[in-house]
Amino acid sequence: MDDLISDLPQSILESILTRLPIRDAVKTSILSRKWRYKWASITELVFDGECVSSLHEGSTIEGSLVKFITRVLFLHQGPIHKFQVSTCYLHSCPDIDQWILFLSRSSDVRELILKLGEAEWVRIPSCLFSCKKLTHLELSSCELDPPPRFKGFLCLRSLSLYRVLVAADAIENLIWNCPLLENLALSYFDDSLAITIRAPNLKHLYLEGDFADIFLENTPLLCNLSVVMYMADDMAEQFELEQSSNCNFVKFLSHAPRLESLAGRAYFAKYLSIGDDPGPLSITFDHLKIIELCEVSFEDMKEVLVLLRLITSSPNLEELRISAGANTSPAGAPDSLDIWERECPADWTFKQLKVVKMTDVDGIPHEMELLKFLLGSSLVLKTMTISPSTYFKHNRMDMLIELLRFRRASSEAEIIFLQE
Amino acid sequence: MSEGAMAVVKPEMKSYIWLQTADGSIQQVEEEVAMFCPMICREVVQTGMGSSKNYAIVLPQRVNPPILGLILDYCRFHQIPGRSNKERKTFDEKFIRMDTKKLCELTSAADSLQLKPLVDLTSRALARIIEGKTPEEIRETFHLPDDLTEEEKLEPLRNITDDPRIRLLNRLYARKRKELKEREKLKTVEAEEERVDERSADDLLSYINSGDGKGVRANKSKKKNRRRKDPSKDALSNKVNGDHDEVEAVSTACSHGEAKDLEVASPHKASKLRDSFIGTFSPKLEFDDGDMDDDLDPAMREELDREVEDFARRLNSDWPERMQELLCLGPPESKLLPVHINGTSSSCACISLDRR
Repeated sequence: MDDLISDLPQSILESILTRLPIRDAVKTSILSRKWRYKWASITELVFDGECVSSLHEGSTIEGSLVKFITRVLFLHQGPIHKFQVSTCYLHSCPDIDQWILFLSRSSDVRELILKLGEAEWVRIPSCLFSCKKLTHLELSSCELDPPPRFKGFLCLRSLSLYRVLVAADAIENLIWNCPLLENLALSYFDDSLAITIRAPNLKHLYLEGDFADIFLENTPLLCNLSVVMYMADDMAEQFELEQSSNCNFVKFLSHAPRLESLAGRAYFAKYLSIGDDPGPLSITFDHLKIIELCEVSFEDMKEVLVLLRLITSSPNLEELRISAGANTSPAGAPDSLDIWERECPADWTFKQLKVVKMTDVDGIPHEMELLKFLLGSSLVLKTMTISPSTYFKHNRMDMLIELLRFRRASSEAEIIFLQE
Repeated sequence: MSEGAMAVVKPEMKSYIWLQTADGSIQQVEEEVAMFCPMICREVVQTGMGSSKNYAIVLPQRVNPPILGLILDYCRFHQIPGRSNKERKTFDEKFIRMDTKKLCELTSAADSLQLKPLVDLTSRALARIIEGKTPEEIRETFHLPDDLTEEEKLEPLRNITDDPRIRLLNRLYARKRKELKEREKLKTVEAEEERVDERSADDLLSYINSGDGKGVRANKSKKKNRRRKDPSKDALSNKVNGDHDEVEAVSTACSHGEAKDLEVASPHKASKLRDSFIGTFSPKLEFDDGDMDDDLDPAMREELDREVEDFARRLNSDWPERMQELLCLGPPESKLLPVHINGTSSSCACISLDRR
């Protein structure tokens, strides 16, 4: 009956131990003599609220967790490549500084993830910036203050900041000084952030929150863009006053020619519409395959124009999902319906568009024009799914009648009307 | 899996790679299946081996024929590019269902063939087996030897520096726990005996009433019972009852140089202690002991902790002084020493040293 497992190569044991919750991994130390310190050389340490079991009398989960993490670090041998603490129980405490100091000393750490409780902001010590080998940094509810002579993380590929207090130019510099940066996620900065993003290697960008101004100045390789843009109602007016001719649409998208997917939620469409209409765009998004836009207000001509420009700059579009924003009246005055004829390039066709999904449709004129345009120009359309909005139910019959008349360029097109 | 059978089915349509396992047996495998293993692929590309029976690729020792069969099944399924992720996952889940021994062998073999996806799959399965189990269950599943000494088990994450003080303390800790455990056991044993005693108490009363010399003996047994009745209340006060005798035993043992069990009395060790002690040592190396100490209730554990701290403190001071104190029957220290003398059950000590 000999030992089945203890003599497997260390790489396999590490692979197994890394897949265990850290608590179970540490507990393997009492299995047998050989297993005593096998856990101590795993290279990934992931801590969460599950690490500490039932509370001992007189201690809090936070206290137990801090003790646990400190002890694991103390008894650990060898390089640490990944260090993650994600628990809402932990708030700002001096131990966090010590852990980061410990990690930065050996400077082997490649992935650092700190997602802490949202009650306070943890001030990240400056020794974080001496972790030269960082490839993945994720911070949540922290306060970041890069030292002035910080030259950037030269290996950083992925940066995610959620509810982080940091100056706008510090972020800009950070992004610019990480030459390999491919993934960037910025969410919920306390003040409305106005930043310019220069990241020559950036491929995936995720933005969420209310941003005052975003300018993608240098993002030639960007392929996935996902934005959830919140905006206070008066922001739009404020923007109008401030930025006369600079169109957000241009600022955002004109430097991302390789875009493959675009998702804009909340008020993104509105945000893009701020500023003067740039006219037909000079760039085309040849690679753009998926567009998803939410809360597009089809009563606002400017937003409609944005949408129009966007889709007519994407000849290879394959999937389009639009959800209409709430409309105030069922039958708005037919304002400038001719823009569809005017602004769409003559004989425009979508050669790849197969799926169209539109939700919260009310049947107002611009919505119908869009559907007409899509049906008439999509040569290989397979399905168009329409979900009516819950308001203005009496309009539905009219909407359907109108829809039936539209010419379809694709013989295979199915129109699916979803009742709730 | 013989060449004869293969020869019937148009061998020239497919190409085969020849593989030799550690036991010397040679088999041929469809090329695309075998090439799914990076190690085999490399061998074929770099050295050109495997094209015929005489030039079979020698597989690493960890790959024996049945395991090779499993690996090839895996490769055969996954090397087909058209399969959906869902199909692959379903296959993997079914594939991984085997006994633990085979799973470990498979992991080892896959690793030697550098077949990373299979290594990941098996590692995940092994992790799932380990997760949530108690150490005993894990040891049983993987046939691990239970070769940690008592104290190592109780203080599983002691100082890596192998400090002699800590070792000493651990041993003390371990013995104390064992002792307390046994007292617990006795308590339950004793619960049954209690009935017996009560009956005899009635007898005693009748004896007493009848006025006999036997009453004396009855008293004695009463005393014994009393001592045994409350092991958990205060381990120490219990000791005090019998410690006079025991301490004398200590002195005799020491004077006779029979300090075998009494490690703490060894002068050689004592000097080591004195020299190396810095004084910052804390006996409380509890690390997540909530799980390790499942069979001791908190009261006992606290007791134990207190004692151990006591002892640690005493280790700080000069040893010869300490010995003097002991020999002069100083009250607090003596409780601990008897444990070492007798090694196991303290109640045995009470009985054996009862000079009354």
